Amino acid sequence: MNMLHLLKIDLKKMTSYRTFWVIGGLYFLTLGLGAASGMEFLKWLARTFEDFGTKLNINRIPLYHFPDVWMNLIWCAGLLKIVLAVLIVISVTNEYTYRTLRQNVIDGLSRAEFLFSKILTNVMLSAISVIMIFVIGLVTGTIYSPSLEWDKMITDTEFFPAYFLELFCFLSFALMLGILIQRAGLTIIILLLFPAIESIITAKVDNFTPALIPYFPMRSIWYLIPWPFPRYAFQEIQDYIKWGSVAIVVAWTVIFNYVAYLKLKRADI
Amino acid sequence: MEAVLSIKNLTKHFGRIKAVNNLSLEVKAGQVFGMLGPNGSGKTTTLGMLMGVVNPTAGEFSWFGEPPTHEIRKKIGAVLEHPIFYPYLSGQKNLELNAMIKQCPVENIPKVLELVELSERKDDKYKTYSLGMKQRLAIASALLNDPTVLILDEPTNGLDPMGIAEIRELIKKIAANGKTIILASHLLDEVQKVCTHFAVLKRGNLVHIGPVGDVGKGEETVEVSADVENLNELLLAFAGTSSIDRENGSYHVVMREGFHSKDLNKFLFDKGVVASHLFTKKKTLEKQFIEILASS
Repeated sequence: MNMLHLLKIDLKKMTSYRTFWVIGGLYFLTLGLGAASGMEFLKWLARTFEDFGTKLNINRIPLYHFPDVWMNLIWCAGLLKIVLAVLIVISVTNEYTYRTLRQNVIDGLSRAEFLFSKILTNVMLSAISVIMIFVIGLVTGTIYSPSLEWDKMITDTEFFPAYFLELFCFLSFALMLGILIQRAGLTIIILLLFPAIESIITAKVDNFTPALIPYFPMRSIWYLIPWPFPRYAFQEIQDYIKWGSVAIVVAWTVIFNYVAYLKLKRADI
Repeated sequence: MEAVLSIKNLTKHFGRIKAVNNLSLEVKAGQVFGMLGPNGSGKTTTLGMLMGVVNPTAGEFSWFGEPPTHEIRKKIGAVLEHPIFYPYLSGQKNLELNAMIKQCPVENIPKVLELVELSERKDDKYKTYSLGMKQRLAIASALLNDPTVLILDEPTNGLDPMGIAEIRELIKKIAANGKTIILASHLLDEVQKVCTHFAVLKRGNLVHIGPVGDVGKGEETVEVSADVENLNELLLAFAGTSSIDRENGSYHVVMREGFHSKDLNKFLFDKGVVASHLFTKKKTLEKQFIEILASS
């Protein structure tokens, strides 16, 4: 079966499902509103500073100026990927609770095709998020930038492929967890707790072999795009993507999807 | 005849439990093949392996002489255990999804909905359906790709007598179109009424396989009554009599091999006696099934 047909099959399952529209709608709404309300945040910040008697010139903080706007938006949008991951968990664990995975296979879908249809949905949702942030960045950047220069506009756009990778890797993780655990509630709890558990482990590891830390899955995903805001406090930040980090996240993406495949292939469903 | 399904030494172990043990059998084109066995005898596990959802521990099987692939499954309509659909989708949308998976035209949907008499409820959500409607939708879905083989696992499970009769009629209608049907059931009456062949499983082992028509063969029992005093003596004098029982005012004569009710009738007529009641009782599948299970 071709890829488009597989994607259509998964979308057919999702598009009549109310939870899909509620969670998906909330995600994209929050993404849009959140990304567009940075100036409101700055104004609030300025008012707060004023209460303390300090004057803050918000025009000096180029939150939405090209090229800063790209990295700022992408980093903030990355926080919301949890919502998307919950959606994926529900989509895949439903197939177990309704036993429709079993019926799909009986009807003639191979297990690999089933997984592939879910992976393609992950790709699609990641791509829509990227496009949305790109459009919001383009609009707000054009409004707030003092001048529009081509070379400033295209600076830092390499964060977009990185953002896509960050989302896709995390959604692959959610898909794998769903296939391994098969129950929505438990999967979501583990999905939410995993970064916390991992950070406790990395804190311990830090005492012995700190060189290992960048290789941890959640760490590599969450730190792929560095935190941009310290630059407004005159601190040096890493304003580029490290190829090493990309390689680690790509490796985890492959591992997550392959483990999901192995589990699906071997299980009696 | 061409073998639609051929199973060789198929085995499935769940831990220490041997759910299916070295099963070998063949189903040929046009047969309505009944799989019998008590609960837990391995029927559903076997069908699960045939449909790719249970991985066999050992052994192999082939559909239409080819090793099984998911492409072949698209040409087999199957309902295993309970009907399974997306509860939040309507019957129509569930079938549209199945048509996408089976890669068959959506134009087939009205036809199968008509056949199972669900056309009027097609736009209602699946979760609002009664059990009988769910079973019928499952059969509709199995028929969607106009399959040459149909697998039905307990299709009348949990249905009321009306529902059972409806499904039975449906199976007969489908079988009349020349489709090969594999039917797992523990309703023996049902199997005897619709099947041409049957196999019996017991704790994962195949203990019997043969045509349903053979069940009635062998010794016959004839119920006789007549308005004469000495019927008992007359019947004892008949060369074909093996033994006689008297029950509810009539005599049950167990016949010797090769003798039939018409021979008895002729014998009585020659003696000047006209039977007022003459009824041949063939052995039922139920009786044979219990004998097979007891002797294995």
